[in-house]
Amino acid sequence: MSAHAHTDTVGHEPHISYPEEKRSWLLTRPTAKTGLISWLTTVDHKKIGLMYGISALFFFLVGGFEALLIRIQLAVPNNTFISHQLYNELFTMHATTMIFLAVMPLSAAFFNYMMPLQIGARDVAFPRLNGFAFWVFIAGAIVINIGWFVKSGAPDAGWFGYAPLTSVAYSNQFAGDMSTDLWVIGLQILGVSSVVGSLNFIVTIINMRAPGMTMMRLPVFTWMTLITAFLIILSFPAITVALVELMMDRTFQTSFFDVSNGGLPILWQHLFWIFGHPEVYILILPAMGIISEILPTFSRKPLFGYPIIVFSGATIGFLGFGVWSHHMFTTGMGTVATAAFSLMTMAIAVPTGVKIFNWIGTLWGGHLQMRTPMLFALGFVWMFMMGGFSGVMHSAAPADAQQQDSYFVVAHFHYVLIGGSVFALLAGIHYWFPLIFGRKVSEFWGKLSFWVIFAGFNITFFPMHFLGLNGMPRRTAVYDGNMGWNDANMIATVGSLILGVGVTIYFAVMVYTYFKGEKTTRDTWDARTLEWTVPTTPPPEHNFDVIPTVHARDAFWYEKTHKAEIDREKAAKEAEEQSHGGIHMPSQSWFPLVAALGLLIGAIFFVNHIMIGAIAGGVILFLGVYLWAVEGPGGYHIHLDHKNEKTPKHH
Amino acid sequence: MTFTSLFRLLKTRALSCAAVAVMPLLFGGWFNWLTGPQSTFDTQGPVAKSQLDVFYVTLWVTGITFVIVVSILTYATLKFKARPTDDPHAAIPHQGHGNPLIELSLIGLSVLALVFIAVPTLKSIWYTYEVPADQKENAYEVTAVGYQWWFGFEYPAEQIEGAGQLITANELVIPAGRPVRINLRTRDVIHSFWVPKLAGKVDMIPNRGNHLWLQADEPGYFWGQCAEFCGESHAVMRFRVIALNEADFAAWVEKQKAPARTVAADAPVEGEPAAPYVFKNPGRNAPGWTPEFDAAPFTAWQTFQEVNPGENPALIAQGRQLFQQKACVTCHTVRGHAPGGTPVAPDLTHVGSRTTIAAGLLENSPENLHRWIVYPDEVKPGNKMYVGLPTGPGVIMAGYVNIDKATGKPTGHNIVINDEEARALVAYLHSLK
Repeated sequence: MSAHAHTDTVGHEPHISYPEEKRSWLLTRPTAKTGLISWLTTVDHKKIGLMYGISALFFFLVGGFEALLIRIQLAVPNNTFISHQLYNELFTMHATTMIFLAVMPLSAAFFNYMMPLQIGARDVAFPRLNGFAFWVFIAGAIVINIGWFVKSGAPDAGWFGYAPLTSVAYSNQFAGDMSTDLWVIGLQILGVSSVVGSLNFIVTIINMRAPGMTMMRLPVFTWMTLITAFLIILSFPAITVALVELMMDRTFQTSFFDVSNGGLPILWQHLFWIFGHPEVYILILPAMGIISEILPTFSRKPLFGYPIIVFSGATIGFLGFGVWSHHMFTTGMGTVATAAFSLMTMAIAVPTGVKIFNWIGTLWGGHLQMRTPMLFALGFVWMFMMGGFSGVMHSAAPADAQQQDSYFVVAHFHYVLIGGSVFALLAGIHYWFPLIFGRKVSEFWGKLSFWVIFAGFNITFFPMHFLGLNGMPRRTAVYDGNMGWNDANMIATVGSLILGVGVTIYFAVMVYTYFKGEKTTRDTWDARTLEWTVPTTPPPEHNFDVIPTVHARDAFWYEKTHKAEIDREKAAKEAEEQSHGGIHMPSQSWFPLVAALGLLIGAIFFVNHIMIGAIAGGVILFLGVYLWAVEGPGGYHIHLDHKNEKTPKHH
Repeated sequence: MTFTSLFRLLKTRALSCAAVAVMPLLFGGWFNWLTGPQSTFDTQGPVAKSQLDVFYVTLWVTGITFVIVVSILTYATLKFKARPTDDPHAAIPHQGHGNPLIELSLIGLSVLALVFIAVPTLKSIWYTYEVPADQKENAYEVTAVGYQWWFGFEYPAEQIEGAGQLITANELVIPAGRPVRINLRTRDVIHSFWVPKLAGKVDMIPNRGNHLWLQADEPGYFWGQCAEFCGESHAVMRFRVIALNEADFAAWVEKQKAPARTVAADAPVEGEPAAPYVFKNPGRNAPGWTPEFDAAPFTAWQTFQEVNPGENPALIAQGRQLFQQKACVTCHTVRGHAPGGTPVAPDLTHVGSRTTIAAGLLENSPENLHRWIVYPDEVKPGNKMYVGLPTGPGVIMAGYVNIDKATGKPTGHNIVINDEEARALVAYLHSLK
């Protein structure tokens, strides 16, 4: 709570004063603003965003460590550094961790933190649900990673877990081996988190935009948030169905995928990839959104072709549901299906290419400020383009027959996911760091980390194209020295260590900056969108002293060029809000955490086949949700006191 | 823009441009990286050739596009970059919002570029899917079956009286210059059949009758490997394809159809017993290949068809007995000697004529075979010969060890083979030409 405001705790509806009702301790809303309890019970989208971000970065480092172990094993042929079994666990967990526990939640962190600020809202539509989504994410992350600490070991069937390798017969090394169950249950829990979070974002974007913020004035990052959220709610049901069927097969002896009872393993692949391909866009669209914010800011120019960028994003989201079988070109689908998915996959290259053209158009004629976020953004455009081109090569099904499941594919998707998603997310962290923490990363160290990451990334993954075309299959713990793969593997391993050093520098600099970095003014980069109009950095709990009114697409840029008009408007707006009882804020709550805890407890008992415990977990979940409903929406008001203001509202 | 302005731009960045230019040199000869035994560029048959041709089309189209786009991106970055010498009070850039005409024409151009790729792609999809109609009569049919972690090959065209079709393992021998249609089956999880020089991969999926076709234009020796993750030892599930001319193929088939070769035991083993093998480590991931073999693998294969000149009949007889005593016969079939094996273990009737063992992992040398027999779990972790094979719900055909179901750990050994016994077994197996 900033010093210039005080609160009251009247009821939810403005104008109506409720009598102080006597509430049981169970339903008393927590009010701590600092300390552990404030974080456990928070409903503030910024705090939740931060927690998402920090957990995601933690898992990013875990996944990176797993990758380094993989690369060390592959440095030389016939290496004995780790066993086949551990290797299989590592690549399964590396992918699962990076996709579900690093990149997705890091995107969610930005959705949470930035999207409400970008649309001029004070929080998301369902603040408690937002907290629930985060705690459920943590529950899923714990479940997936338990394997490292128990005898079963971590999941080892690959991140797309093709049936029937995931069946009890082929994946359990002993009775009660729960490694695959952990994966099955963990992913379902993460699915709950993603869907709940996404519904919240959709409702927020549609309903809580500031006055004047029409859909075609939304910042592109918010647009991509919206499209991604739709992709999540539409694609996760498919994998949930697949996972539930697999869970039934494993736990209750059903036969969805069990061949000896007529099950169909190919069914798993269709269900998985009908989720899995949109998932690829779930990972890349937020990145495209971030880039579409950074390039205009540092080019000092609006985004080139905003409507086409938005429309192509939506087209990608739509077509993304029609290309799943290009992951299955080698499954013998027959000529017609193969041809259809081949052409659809080529078609999706068009809206993707359009974005690249428009980003270059944004640079054209601009005044490019080569700051660290801009370097990462330009690196993104280059690297993502390379990943896109190898993607076009995969779309030609006959060529893909050689590339599928080879290191060429490994090179391709790391160009898209590191060169694409991760570069953009690292750019985003740099870009918004001053807004979130009020401090700025040193340009020297930021740029150094970029160049080391850029070099390490290319040295690691570029040679993999050659490995794949030279016949090296992926997911192999050892290879022979006579296959012509030695040099490229050694270089890739050296590159991965350089990449590791780059990432270490990046994070060390971030941690240093958090404590000791240079303090910045509010509008560090001379940015264009509403999130930079917050009165202080870090932003106050209520985000905006006055809800902004939007007059143009780059709302903040417009404000900066129309100061007098905006100031008049704000004064009027503020008076109006005060007359309605002040700034209305949502109350904190314990119950999102309690409900998520129930899910965690239930899951852990379930994978151990202790059904009574699983039911107990379900009861806690139910109680959490019930009390959540009973405690009511809550809410309190903040009254700004201008006399005590420490920072001027407008520069 | 003029060349002089471009030159000026480049001059200030001579060093970085030079660094980019020498990058390929720093990384070493990339083109040596595409000539391995599983290279997709060194195609040896029409299917792989068709797939490579499509790849080249994609490479050219994307390559040219890449050069154009990256040039423009680089130019824009250098040209419009803010410099410390810039006037701080200069007007902000023109706040233009785009140009629909440029945008639409770029979309049109992208579609056009993709049409260039789409046409040959479609042609090749139909061509590579099935043996061309005019050659169907001529096509030879085999069935490849995936197992954790080896390949079985069945020849429906070669029936053996009283023993059904001809069955081999891990080395697929095919006629050269003729299309071969391969039915793809699996007995457990999903595997994928991939011989890069002959054809792209097609998966072997349970409950699904997949197939592929390929043709080796000339006789030769080709490397292949399982390309779909299939469990613990996926990395070492490999195989070979040997293409023979018509006469050689017919001779090979005749020889394979015959029951196992029997060597009469005329005298007891004489002379000093050889010194026991000492393996550096019992062989975990130890390489099983030699440069001598790789120099001329096809010739090596031909040599493997001949009886070893120095074979020891007495040792072979001892090995044949051990093959019974050590329970090898419960799983492995040796037609004529031990016909009672299961179909889920490799048929060893002519194992001595194969160039590799342990699913294409090790050259079939006495030392390698010895290591495989004595330390199977070190060579191929989790293999069914070692841990036993589930033959039904809760039923396990025991392997080298008993596995405690509750812990997954070995509790006792069913089969232990000492150095001397292994020598006899190797002699016997190598006599099975």
